[in-house]
Amino acid sequence: MSRPKPLVAAIAVATIAATALSACSGSSAKKSNGGSGGGGTGGVFTSIDANNKITAGAPMNPFNAAPNMFLGYNQMQLGFTKNDPSDPNALLPGLAASWTASDAGLTIQLQPGAKWSDGTPVTVADIKTSLAIAYTQGTAGPVASAGGTVVAGSNFEVSDVKDLGGGKIEIDQQPGVKNLYFQRLVLTSTIVSDKVYGGQLPADIWTQIAAVQGTDQAAAGAAATKLAAEGKTIAAFAPAKDVSAGPFVETRVNPGEALLDRNQYFYAASKISPKQVILRSYSGNQQIWGYMNGGELDFAPYTSMPTNILNQVLGAGYTRVDAPSYVSASIAFNEKQAPYNLTPVRQALAYVIDRDAVTKVGEPVGGIAAPTTTGLVGSQSDSILSGDQKAALNPYKVDTAKAASLLQGAGFTKDGSGKWHLPNGQPWTITLQTVNGFSDWIAASTIIANELTQFGIPTTAAITADFATYQKEMAAGKYAVGWWLVALGPQTDKAYARIYGSADGYSVTGGQATHNDAAPTNWEHTPATYTVNGQSIDPGQLAAQLSVTPVSGQAPIVAQLAAATNQELPMIQIWNYTHVVFTLDKRFTNFPKTGQDALLANPPGVWMMQGYVQGK
Amino acid sequence: MTGFARRLAGKLLTGLVMVWVVVTFTFFLVHALPGKPGDVQYEQYIMSGMSSEQASAKVQQVYGFTSHAPLLSQYGGYLGRLAHGDLGQSISYTGVPVTHLIWSALPWTVIPVLSGLLVSFLFGVVAGIVAAVKRSSRWGGLLTVSGSLVAGVPAFVLALLLLVVFHTEWNLLPDAGTSDIQYNPGWNVPYIGSVVQHAVLPVCAYALLSYGGWLLAMKSSVVSVLGDDFILASELRGIAPVTRARYIGRNAILPLFTVLALSFGVMFAGSFFIEDTFDYPGLGDLLLKSIGTRDYPVMAGAFLLITVSIIVANILADLCYTLIDPRVRR
Repeated sequence: MSRPKPLVAAIAVATIAATALSACSGSSAKKSNGGSGGGGTGGVFTSIDANNKITAGAPMNPFNAAPNMFLGYNQMQLGFTKNDPSDPNALLPGLAASWTASDAGLTIQLQPGAKWSDGTPVTVADIKTSLAIAYTQGTAGPVASAGGTVVAGSNFEVSDVKDLGGGKIEIDQQPGVKNLYFQRLVLTSTIVSDKVYGGQLPADIWTQIAAVQGTDQAAAGAAATKLAAEGKTIAAFAPAKDVSAGPFVETRVNPGEALLDRNQYFYAASKISPKQVILRSYSGNQQIWGYMNGGELDFAPYTSMPTNILNQVLGAGYTRVDAPSYVSASIAFNEKQAPYNLTPVRQALAYVIDRDAVTKVGEPVGGIAAPTTTGLVGSQSDSILSGDQKAALNPYKVDTAKAASLLQGAGFTKDGSGKWHLPNGQPWTITLQTVNGFSDWIAASTIIANELTQFGIPTTAAITADFATYQKEMAAGKYAVGWWLVALGPQTDKAYARIYGSADGYSVTGGQATHNDAAPTNWEHTPATYTVNGQSIDPGQLAAQLSVTPVSGQAPIVAQLAAATNQELPMIQIWNYTHVVFTLDKRFTNFPKTGQDALLANPPGVWMMQGYVQGK
Repeated sequence: MTGFARRLAGKLLTGLVMVWVVVTFTFFLVHALPGKPGDVQYEQYIMSGMSSEQASAKVQQVYGFTSHAPLLSQYGGYLGRLAHGDLGQSISYTGVPVTHLIWSALPWTVIPVLSGLLVSFLFGVVAGIVAAVKRSSRWGGLLTVSGSLVAGVPAFVLALLLLVVFHTEWNLLPDAGTSDIQYNPGWNVPYIGSVVQHAVLPVCAYALLSYGGWLLAMKSSVVSVLGDDFILASELRGIAPVTRARYIGRNAILPLFTVLALSFGVMFAGSFFIEDTFDYPGLGDLLLKSIGTRDYPVMAGAFLLITVSIIVANILADLCYTLIDPRVRR
């Protein structure tokens, strides 16, 4: 018999001792491999909040940028987004059971029996305090002296909150201001308890808000400065305990996990099956995959995942659920650097890059090869553009002959070794820039580099050390060709503002855009106008116009922008991301399925509010 | 003033000057890094699946805590606050005092690194003595090879190996975190047991990482002492082997004390790789996150802590050396 090696022996002794110590308490329920099943109600639901990594010392305050607070569990809103591109104002109910919009604002009906976890009811004071806090955080106005302007953007402008009795609350929009998304922005604001947060605000907060909305610019400026200072106090505030109106309330947080217990006072407590929720910290994708391989998570968020990992997690019993994601990975050009200022060059590159092959390597699980480039994700353009408009789009299917013809037409030549030369006779090489840590972009860059090199344009993939440096250098115009995210969000105006906005030298005031090619943030340097179907259009102006046009009237503008983007290719969309999440039907069942996009746009806490996720 | 007090005062003064130099250097260095806190985070929020509105709102919060004053004025303010022990407020944790974040992360670096350091020192020194004394035997050779081998393995490989063996394959120990959330933190047996259980793998990783270094250093030192005349003389005079071993040990361990003292200082830097692998939220993890988010105050605070601890450890090592080695006092 051999003696145990010292290290193994030491580990074994320490493990046994620690396990014995851990097991000493009969009162503490020890979890094993994730949560335990519910048998109808009860059990521990284990998951990860990818938007909020748990951090030792971070406060339980949703207004902190990195709080130990979790949307849909203990962080509540009046409503939750459906991420519906055809109606961005469509929402699932939250603390508001229903609502009606008018030109003056919004009237909401609070959920009957809406209470905080200390048993006190949710009142108009809570809503008023929460919306005032939004002003201090920069997520609400101010729009000083807007005077009848239709306002674009992410900020709402509330001027008053009135109690109509019986749980009915009127929320007024700043007179003279019309934000197309007022309803969505107000309803998706975080609602906190006035009892906990009210003391952090000055008594004259609504006087300050009135001042920033007023016509006296000096007073508005002074009030805005005060609001910003108050915002810092609010963001840094660390409540001693969590008081939540959500389905769960935070019991404790350690540096690796957060424990939330079911809120017995939640207005729909009978729908909530898990007795507890444990949210785990993670240091990277690999750790989430490790948890999944061990069947430890009941819900796993999106991670950029290769096929072999997908097979492993499916093998561990997980179900893949797909929902739309309004983000697209693209190759963008700096048109100040020749030859990328030439439209035929960008078109030729689009004909060479095989987007299907690139997606299979770069983002095989969480991506779908972009059907073409429009500036929107496929599902969005499909729902907005007519059949004829879609048919008129160039899909840029792989066609190297067409690419060669386009380049020859632009004065490029090919030498005896098959390498392309610029019109001035210089050899043409491409450096495709990507970022350290973005594994999908890096893998995809290798394929694109191979394809372009085989076509006769020697291409190398260069990696910038970190994302901050990449952002800085891209903005400074240092890269001729590099990866970029486009088509952000279900709102088409947001998607086009990403392309024809500040990164392209446009600034927008009151729905009017001005273009400045020398603007410091302008690294795209596209021309101010395009000629599309014989018509001259200003894409920046159209994007600005889109932002102040009701959704029902946006289609003609979107069609023009999609056609212009498809023809001019300021960037080439490679793949559209898919929001792939995983559920484990082992301890809990009745999870939303692929196709239930409105639910899947939200975290599992919101599913539970709607009666989903029941213990087995 | 005694000689000791004079030496102490001199070293403290030198230490203060060094802290100021390093503080100044790191302040300008961290601000010279490309990218701004808000710009960096927006795209990362989008990549993590957050909606553009949520991302904008979060970035807005971060911008509120990013100073736009000229750099020299920021530096003046920083030094002023520092003189009062205030390290400022975090940007990425909007307004949370940096000292609070550091204090929260500190135990999760000190506990495993200190334990790992002491365990590795103990095992390494003993193994080093054996390897030196039995250097002509198979055991001596094996020990030396084990030291060289372990010393050459990168931290992340070692950590992953431990994770795969003791968690994935054998499921003996937890893979991440500091304790089981089901236990109420405090001086209660289940919680402490859980903390110990979660610390085993990180401690082993730290211990294994430095074990080879101690072993090889101790072996080399012992071999050198073995060749000294006083050892030969003690052998010839028939002094008992136990006493001779004490002579050897006391003389050979002296150089290692300096390294040990400095290691206590370096300890505060944690280890990015080990903390990352075991998701152990110590100072290394905090520093890494702060660099990624360009959280200048947290970066500066963490660097300051590391600098001060190394300088203090250096001073203590110097002072202790004068106590344990009479030759230095002359």
